[in-house]
Amino acid sequence: MVLKTLADLKNIVAGGQKKKLVLATAQDQHSLSAVVRAWKDNIIEPILIGDKEGIQNICAANNYDISGLRIVHEPGIEMAVEMAVKMVSNKEGDILMKGKVGTSTLLKCVLNKEWGLRTGNLLSHFALFEVDTYPKVIAVTDVAMNIAPNLRDKIAIINNSVNCLIRLGYTMPKVAVLGAVEMVNENMEATLDAALLSKMNQRDQIKNCIIDGPLAFDNAVSLESARRKGIKSEIAGDTDLLLMPDIEVGNVLYKSLVFFAKAKVASVILGARVPIVLTSRSDSEQAKYDSILLSAAASK
Amino acid sequence: MVEKVLTLKKMHVITVAWAQDINTVGAVNRSVDDGLVSAILIGKSGEIKKICGKKGIDHTKFRIIDIEDEAEAAAEAVRFAKSGEADIVMKGLVGTDKFLKAVMEKESGLMIPGAVLSYVCAVEIPTYHKLLFITDPAVIPFPDLDQKVAMANYAVEMASKFGIEKSRMALIGASEKPSRHFQYSVDYPEMCRMAERGLIKNCIMDGPLDLFLACDKESVEIKGVNTPVGGDADILLFPSLESCNPFYKSLMLFAQGELAGLIRGTEKPVIVMSRSESEKSKYYCIALACLMT
Repeated sequence: MVLKTLADLKNIVAGGQKKKLVLATAQDQHSLSAVVRAWKDNIIEPILIGDKEGIQNICAANNYDISGLRIVHEPGIEMAVEMAVKMVSNKEGDILMKGKVGTSTLLKCVLNKEWGLRTGNLLSHFALFEVDTYPKVIAVTDVAMNIAPNLRDKIAIINNSVNCLIRLGYTMPKVAVLGAVEMVNENMEATLDAALLSKMNQRDQIKNCIIDGPLAFDNAVSLESARRKGIKSEIAGDTDLLLMPDIEVGNVLYKSLVFFAKAKVASVILGARVPIVLTSRSDSEQAKYDSILLSAAASK
Repeated sequence: MVEKVLTLKKMHVITVAWAQDINTVGAVNRSVDDGLVSAILIGKSGEIKKICGKKGIDHTKFRIIDIEDEAEAAAEAVRFAKSGEADIVMKGLVGTDKFLKAVMEKESGLMIPGAVLSYVCAVEIPTYHKLLFITDPAVIPFPDLDQKVAMANYAVEMASKFGIEKSRMALIGASEKPSRHFQYSVDYPEMCRMAERGLIKNCIMDGPLDLFLACDKESVEIKGVNTPVGGDADILLFPSLESCNPFYKSLMLFAQGELAGLIRGTEKPVIVMSRSESEKSKYYCIALACLMT
């Protein structure tokens, strides 16, 4: 199965056990609005950790009815994050979400050796885009977390993403390793890595997916472009996952899709014991909601 | 863009290397019919005529030169421009590397001595309020400071041909915070200084800026970043070909963008378009080349 739209994620979530989402430092209007909406839609069971009065004030000011919602009072920012992470660590939560706290503070707790959420895997960012001009949802990684991944990091990023896609119902997702060109060029490391990743996939060193690269963006998403260039690839024009060479490329592409192509986007951090929702202020309300939906669908 | 060129009322001669490509022939045909250019098509004449036949184009309006070899066709096209018989050189079906080799040939090529060879595009995007100029999606993989300065100047020059006297230029990065971790954009602050001191003229430059801060006024407001570009960029300069190339392709494929691009640093405008580019984009390129001649 492949996802045609982000709304299809609802079918995955529907009927299953409702996932518990722990919102760390919940006194934050931006995340609260999306969490409350997802709760009303029966997608998640939220646990709000943070300054109780602050949370209640925000909800009152915005007319969020949160009667029946579990709130754990902890006014200290760092203490609230620690409590949230420990709760997830003790299996009392299935998803961790960032509220009014800096990303670095949250990640420091997530990576804590004693009570954090490490699995030994690299953490990576995974985003799903819905664009009118592509026949299905397209996943892109890593546009926000790893600055300049080396080959080993790229393998970990692919594995994180492929495992996630499989949980979303995909079998053998098609992974395009992006390059500026589709030829291996010794001056562009990304194209060398791409060739290695493809071969490692053929040799079953990277499993459960079909990898091809380097592919330029147009060959990856358009069969016509690939044909005109005479590129033989079983994933050309049918890509499920696009692997970015580095964050500079990923960030630009992500913002281009959102701003110029008016794409809908959902994103999640993978590689920890549970999915982590890290949205930023500049994300739209819908993107935050869809990110919660994605994390619920990707949660084990 | 095309209207702008039609007002020039000056016909140019274009020469196409390895011209037996359907979109290229279509674009050249339209430019000839619009009175922008007269054309010399170089390549396998049988195939060129066959394509004309298929598209219902009268091939006698072109001058066709029969050459059976790809590299030879590229060299011949460059020779026409070098001798002054042609004003614009365009790549047809020939591979980009072979084509550029002919352009860059020391004696017979079109390079301006000492100039940086780079690529500038003008992009029309329905979701952006004006033309956007971007560089470099095709030629320099990882430009150093000198190359970036040349790229900036080429982009400003192109924007000025469209009547923009002082362009707003965003130097694109993953974040607006300068960081040594972003190895391809560490020289941005230096560039801004150079622009301030008049070493790069006729532009208001800022960077690093992410794409939102460069092109979206609302993002600038939300983030409260003080930038003279102000979400209203005319020019985006990218840190690498790796980031610029998928950017423009995403515009073409997912945002209904149309693009025209040119090689800069040559004596005469050189059009290098990916073989997979549409007829319309290739037509725009020819119009742009006329504007820059």
